[in-house]
Amino acid sequence: MKPGRMEMEISLKGMLAGLLLSSALGLGGTLVANAAGDEIVIGAPISLTGPLAGDGKEQKWAYEQAVADINKAGGIMVKAAGKKLPVRLVVADDESSEGKVASALENLIKVQKVDALLSTHSGPMNIAGAIVAEKYKKFYMITTAFPFEWQPLKLKYSALFFFHPGPGAEVPFQIWDKLPANEKPKHPALVSEDSPDGKGFGGAFEAAAKKYGYSFAVDDPWAIGATDYSALITKLKASDVDAMLVFGSPADTVTLLRQMKELGFSVPYLHGWKGTWTGEFHEALGPDSDYILTDGFWSASYPYKGAKELGDRYEAEFKKDSVTVGAFYANAQVLAQAIEKAGSTDAAAIHDAIFGQEFKDTVVGDLKFDETGFALIPSVATQWWQGKHQLIYPDGNWTYKPAPAWDKR
Amino acid sequence: MSRASRWIAIVVVAVLALLPFLPGAVDAYYFSFLFFVSLYAVMAQSWNLVAGYGGQISLGSHAFFGLGAYTTAILWSGNHLWGSLYDSHPNIYYFDPVTMLLGGFVAALAAVLIGLPLLSKLHGDYFALGTLGFGEIVKVIFVNGGDFTGGAFGIVAPASSFDTLRPHYWVGLGLMVATALAIHALMRSRYGLALIAVRDDEMAASANGIDTLKVKVAAFAGSAFIAGVAGSLYTFYIFHVGPDSVFDLDWMLLPLMMTVVGGTGTLLGPILGALVMYAVFDLARIVVPDYHPVISGLTIILAMLFLPKGLMRVGKRLKTA
Repeated sequence: MKPGRMEMEISLKGMLAGLLLSSALGLGGTLVANAAGDEIVIGAPISLTGPLAGDGKEQKWAYEQAVADINKAGGIMVKAAGKKLPVRLVVADDESSEGKVASALENLIKVQKVDALLSTHSGPMNIAGAIVAEKYKKFYMITTAFPFEWQPLKLKYSALFFFHPGPGAEVPFQIWDKLPANEKPKHPALVSEDSPDGKGFGGAFEAAAKKYGYSFAVDDPWAIGATDYSALITKLKASDVDAMLVFGSPADTVTLLRQMKELGFSVPYLHGWKGTWTGEFHEALGPDSDYILTDGFWSASYPYKGAKELGDRYEAEFKKDSVTVGAFYANAQVLAQAIEKAGSTDAAAIHDAIFGQEFKDTVVGDLKFDETGFALIPSVATQWWQGKHQLIYPDGNWTYKPAPAWDKR
Repeated sequence: MSRASRWIAIVVVAVLALLPFLPGAVDAYYFSFLFFVSLYAVMAQSWNLVAGYGGQISLGSHAFFGLGAYTTAILWSGNHLWGSLYDSHPNIYYFDPVTMLLGGFVAALAAVLIGLPLLSKLHGDYFALGTLGFGEIVKVIFVNGGDFTGGAFGIVAPASSFDTLRPHYWVGLGLMVATALAIHALMRSRYGLALIAVRDDEMAASANGIDTLKVKVAAFAGSAFIAGVAGSLYTFYIFHVGPDSVFDLDWMLLPLMMTVVGGTGTLLGPILGALVMYAVFDLARIVVPDYHPVISGLTIILAMLFLPKGLMRVGKRLKTA
């Protein structure tokens, strides 16, 4: 037999074996499917691996807590079943990638046979998830996506609560407005990572600066993963910068701050997005994280029902606080209440139960969804102080402390 | 191909083509699994053409995949001169074969434009790094493309066009079969012999009158065309084309790995590699979602240790041993 022919026959046999393997995969899917009617299966694509795994860890914890609390209260009353049904949460790794969200949802919908879905984290990934959910007519409850990304799609089987990037980008300027004249920044700088998200945020900050009468002394893109930021720091120093708005990953922001300290450059006001809110940021910098302001979606200092208890629970388990878990917990609260209102897990019924409706007493407060299925929550600003997030905006009880020079801290 | 192999191949393809008619098949997980296998097999075949048969290690497949995906999304979403047609008929470009071919042609054109300077000056690792750089450049251009490319967010097509996964599956299967047949025919032609001659000894090929640059650029463009069409198909599946998703390095790395595991420079190796590797990755994702990269990484290490020449050559080795 000719070698080429032999290879082809071997391969065809291999492919038959592969097809059998894939059939086993399909069978596996059938085996893990839920026993219909005895429980409600909620699926969630979560970033268990990849660059957003830190966020994913908090998200998974929050969803698990919400489901445990729902089950502790007996489950969700489903009219169609005539009784309260327990909830089971199943997660699938989206690998922090837009492309993989679709595969994760295919797994949740077709293998795990979920009844409804909770969102992953970040705008583009949630849009990818919402589109797959729309295709398969499964309801996808979202937080952490911008309305300008989601609303134009006019999707029927998803709803969203989050803040608008415009008002979110205005937060530092609103804080500055309240500062005494001698503390207001004279030469602020915008440093946004050179990425799609960085560009998106950068534009919002530029528009907000214009609105509040500021102009950036330095407005530079910031290379992701670089190890030497001395050129950027020298430029900031030369421009006499006294406030920095920084959008970058935790690793890059930590590197930037360490090099700023090494070069003796400090600004009274440094407000970070994306990279400064995680516990890992504080663990990496220790006391040097003090005075840094950071973004977030939630605060345990909120006066809403269950917020403090949830924050305490997180702190007891992880010995640190969180500015995100409440948003994810509320996401599960809304979906559970919507299923109860709808009386079933049918996506169209859940749509009707959310769109134009109000949800009271969630850990992010009352949520009022408009006719497009969107509810607004405020963007949060906190200041790191001795390893804890102190709430400044909105309506925080913490007074902003400007950072002194490194050697005076 | 022997008569028996030909019949086996026809039966396998026929069974796969008829699969969507099985009750419940479309809603089963293995259906979308097979769609992804076909998509990755096409991408692996694309990489195999330029690297396996042509000997030019390209690390820019994701750029061509993304160009095909964006071409389709831009045409479909109305960001172009014929936008008004889209406004009145939002589904008009859904699975439009001309749109898919255009996706391939745009990718092929880009490959010719970048291939001419790169392939005439660079060889081996330097060519590989050049193509990797090209991929990054294309991504940045699309991030900064303003309304035309949708900028950092990308372009969204109407998800309401989706009715069933059947057309995706059939088109994926069709592309996988067509690509394999086309490469089979190509490698039996004078051009195929020239391509293999260039791979094995470029200087000797040139001394024998082969225009080596032309041969290499044609393989590079052909590979890009296949990747572009695959990107177009992906747009019809995902409905949201963004720079981070379609220019993701995974669209180059996974097909490369699948080809190596299946058998570089063999016709069916990329398909076998895609089937086996995607099954391993997916099973790991389902069974151990927290640790699936460990399983996937271990599989790759074991494959490289024990199957350095790919699955296709295992039987051959056993028979000759």
